Amino acid sequence: MPALDWQGVLTGQPLQWIVSGFLTTLWVTLAGVVLATLLALLFLLLRLSAGRFGHAVVSGWVSLFRNTPLLVQLLFWYFAAWNGLPLGFRDVVNADHAWSILPGDVWWFTPEFLCSAWGLGVFTSAFLIEEIESGLRSVPNGQRDAALAQGFSAWRLFRYILLPQGLANAWQPVVGQYLNLMKLSSLASGIGFAELTYQVRQIESYNAHALEAFTVGTALYLLTGVLMGMLLTRLGPRAGRTQHDCRI
Amino acid sequence: MLSGLFSHSAAGAADFSHLEHASVEFRDVVKRYGDHEVLKGINLSISPGEVVAILGPSGSGKSTLIRLINQLETLSDGDILIDNKPTARLATAALRQLRSRVGFVFQQFNLYAHLTASQNITLALEHVHGWKPQPAQERALALLEKVGMLEKAHHFPAQLSGGQQQRVAIARALASSPQIILFDEPTSALDPEMIGEVLYVMKALAHSGITMIVVTHEMQFAREIADRIVFIDGGHILETAPPAQFFSQPSHPRAQRFLQKVLDPLHQEPL
Repeated sequence: MPALDWQGVLTGQPLQWIVSGFLTTLWVTLAGVVLATLLALLFLLLRLSAGRFGHAVVSGWVSLFRNTPLLVQLLFWYFAAWNGLPLGFRDVVNADHAWSILPGDVWWFTPEFLCSAWGLGVFTSAFLIEEIESGLRSVPNGQRDAALAQGFSAWRLFRYILLPQGLANAWQPVVGQYLNLMKLSSLASGIGFAELTYQVRQIESYNAHALEAFTVGTALYLLTGVLMGMLLTRLGPRAGRTQHDCRI
Repeated sequence: MLSGLFSHSAAGAADFSHLEHASVEFRDVVKRYGDHEVLKGINLSISPGEVVAILGPSGSGKSTLIRLINQLETLSDGDILIDNKPTARLATAALRQLRSRVGFVFQQFNLYAHLTASQNITLALEHVHGWKPQPAQERALALLEKVGMLEKAHHFPAQLSGGQQQRVAIARALASSPQIILFDEPTSALDPEMIGEVLYVMKALAHSGITMIVVTHEMQFAREIADRIVFIDGGHILETAPPAQFFSQPSHPRAQRFLQKVLDPLHQEPL
């Protein structure tokens, strides 16, 4: 076994690549999580309020994106769907914009970033929909009756009574999906998106420090996952607060 | 002590549009679930401020009857007039307004499990009635004090006993100053020693001006508090009478049998 040379990845150009890739992974994860959550809420509302039509649309969305490989979806968005967008729009995206630069010198207004965030968001939303839905279903029907009897509208019933409890019930699986999204962002290297995995492979071809580079990359994913999981569990709504907490 | 607040809540609070007459009138009301007819042509008039106890065996349609009033169940036929106005074909917004003026207390309390006792009361005040948080909070605490639950204001439902939860639920139902309040077997899910505290709150509420319709198995409550007993079985109203008359000389044979079974369960006729 060759001696490990950490200097080859933790200094100079390779280090810059790793830092840049890591920050890119963090930003695209954040964008994907926000997008997935918004899409999931939108489709849950559609399912609740738009009757049979809404139901069919949501079921179609869920089965399409849950049952096809994420890599294929990313390739589709980047190589097929992107080129279907109006040329004028694509030109705007391809141009340089100062407001496109996120802290850490990550550019978000680029075809790669947008397609990656969108693809990850869409894919994850399909799982979130079903998981939050099962959380909503576990809210006792009596509380719906009580809210209707008090004159709550369907939207406010959802917003103030069902959603807080449904999210709390489903929070652990939801956190799991957010972590999956973070890890699956490595597949976006397949469309040339310069996130962590892409940069690690670049080091490998630059100075052949494959073992060291992939070790560092793996450690960063592990660290991010552990911290993200702890943070989200801590910050998230807690189911059963009512059962365990503070018996004063 | 209690009646002071409740009469105020029934009559006062000019910030809501009010019913002229908090009356409820059933006209040929029919409720079907598929082929099964639960209520078969109910006619019943309830005056403003009246306390009506609805008695009857399980499965007789008692709960369905009051759930029709605020349309937790939809009518199959007939109409229900509230404040002398038909309600069978209300638009969504009008239905919500009607519901917000009619209190409902459930057998299983149905408190919002993620909210404290006081938040259970403020939620509708803020998001249905548009109150600011501060007055809503004050109103919640005042109501909780009146039902003897002030010190539990910041407890979650799961930290409260059944009787305490039901008292919070009654306070919640009163928050919007309803002129009609419906009780669906409010003590049936309670341990025996907790029934008293809930009945005490209900007793204080009765004859304060608010119209009360109570589905119950508490014969003593019906006898002492109600102005009128409505006995229902098999989807029909079989007897309507003042409690004194109903409990001493029920006229319908089914009511006689029911009372005998309920009041003297060990000495009923062999089947």
